[in-house]
This record gives sequence, C-alpha cells and structure tokens, in this order.
Amino acid sequence: MRGVVGGLVEGASRSTIVDLEAGLEHLSRGTARHVETLLIVGEPYFKSLETASRSFALAKELGIGQIRMVANKVRTPRDEDTMREYAARHGLPIATVVPYDDAVVAADERGVALIEYGPSAPSVAAIRRLAEDLLTSGGAPEAPASR
Amino acid sequence: MKVAIAGKGGAGKTTIAGTLARVIAELGQRVVAIDDDSNPNLALTVGVDRNAAATLDGIPRDMLVERTDADGTSRLVLAVPAEDFIDRYGVPVRERLTLLVMGGPNHGGSG
Repeated sequence: MRGVVGGLVEGASRSTIVDLEAGLEHLSRGTARHVETLLIVGEPYFKSLETASRSFALAKELGIGQIRMVANKVRTPRDEDTMREYAARHGLPIATVVPYDDAVVAADERGVALIEYGPSAPSVAAIRRLAEDLLTSGGAPEAPASR
Repeated sequence: MKVAIAGKGGAGKTTIAGTLARVIAELGQRVVAIDDDSNPNLALTVGVDRNAAATLDGIPRDMLVERTDADGTSRLVLAVPAEDFIDRYGVPVRERLTLLVMGGPNHGGSG
C-alpha cells in the first residue's frame, strides 16, 4: 500500500493527517513529496531527542518542506529548556509544546479519545493552538529559535 | 493542509495525530485521518470504535494498479481518484472527518 498513501495525500482535496509508522525508515519519497508539513513528536529525554534529530535529517533528505518538532510530555520548565536548547542546536523548529497531561493516560486507560475525555485538557488546548497555527501559517514555528 | 506525523513508539504520535484531526474538523475543514502505522491505533484517538475501522488489507485489486518505477521496483498506486477512494473506504468519524486505516505489517504486497 506504499504508493497509495502518497496518492491519497496528493489527490485528496480535503486536508490530510497521516499517522506514520514509528520511525521514518518506511516513509516513501512518494508520500514525502506530497506532505507539506512533517511533525516529529519528541519527548524531553536524550534518546527521544536523538531519534527526533535522526528523523529530521532523513526528512530533510526526502525533501519535505516544513519539518517541525512537537515537544510532547513536557512536565517542567527545565524539560522545556532541554527541548528548546536541543532543537535550536539542531536547527529543528518547535511547532508547539504539549504539557504532560494525566488526561492522556486516563483516556488511554478508558479506551476513549482524548478529546472526548478531556476536551479542555491542557494537552488538547496545546493541540488546538497547533491546529490554528497550521491553518493560518501552514505550520510556521511558534517563535524564532534563539540561542 | 497536508500533514504527516512521525515519532518513536510511545512518544504520543498517534494521540497528537488523532486529536489534531478532530480539532481541524471542528475548525471547519474537511479532513481525512490516515493511519499508516503497521500497528494501527488511530481509530481510538479520533474517537471511533476500532472494529468499525477495518483495515484496507482486503481492498479489491481494481482500486489499485501496479506501477514499475525506473529502478525496476513495483508498487501499487491508486486506480481511482483519491476523493472517490476516501469516500468509499473511509470510516465517517464526525462531521467533516473521515478515517482511513491502511493496514498491518508490510501494508500488503507492495514489495
């Protein structure tokens, strides 16, 4: 079905959100060519950030236009600093910071959608901001990377 | 908007993809959420029963056509317009939101 996803992304007149295979090894050039924005979800610890930066390099090679990191499960200002510092050092813009949120765990335990379990949960609020940014700016980073 | 979401297993990729799709639909856009993970879980996070979202593994061959690339590798591509395919095989989730689950490991016979 590899060529099919690229064809869907290319041909759909509606918006497309593709949940990719974990890791980018299977991302085909066909799919990559038609994706406008790649969001790489990372967590605030070293191994996750290393994986994110590998995906970033691969995605650049594949020629994806906009590549952004979603800084997920951020518990503390220090977590956020770690991620911002790492992202800035690797030239990877951050699209949004999603706080660690018990609602995510609780929704998962109950087998329900996060947005139904906690429509105003902090994580959902962050994803709403991300959606608004994507709609208005096509996914420009929330702030210029500093440092 | 054409967005793809990547991340290590457990990073929250699918939760973010599903919630983003829901929010974009709420904001008035028509959207298709495509689950291209070989361990498909997007159904849950967009809010549809997993059993309602059958995978496309058994898709009729006349929907697809085999194409051979210059380097000799062949792959399956859509034989019908993307919108028709989505309407036919997508699962309606909410107003303006459709889910497509591509299928399990190897995504069926592309190589």
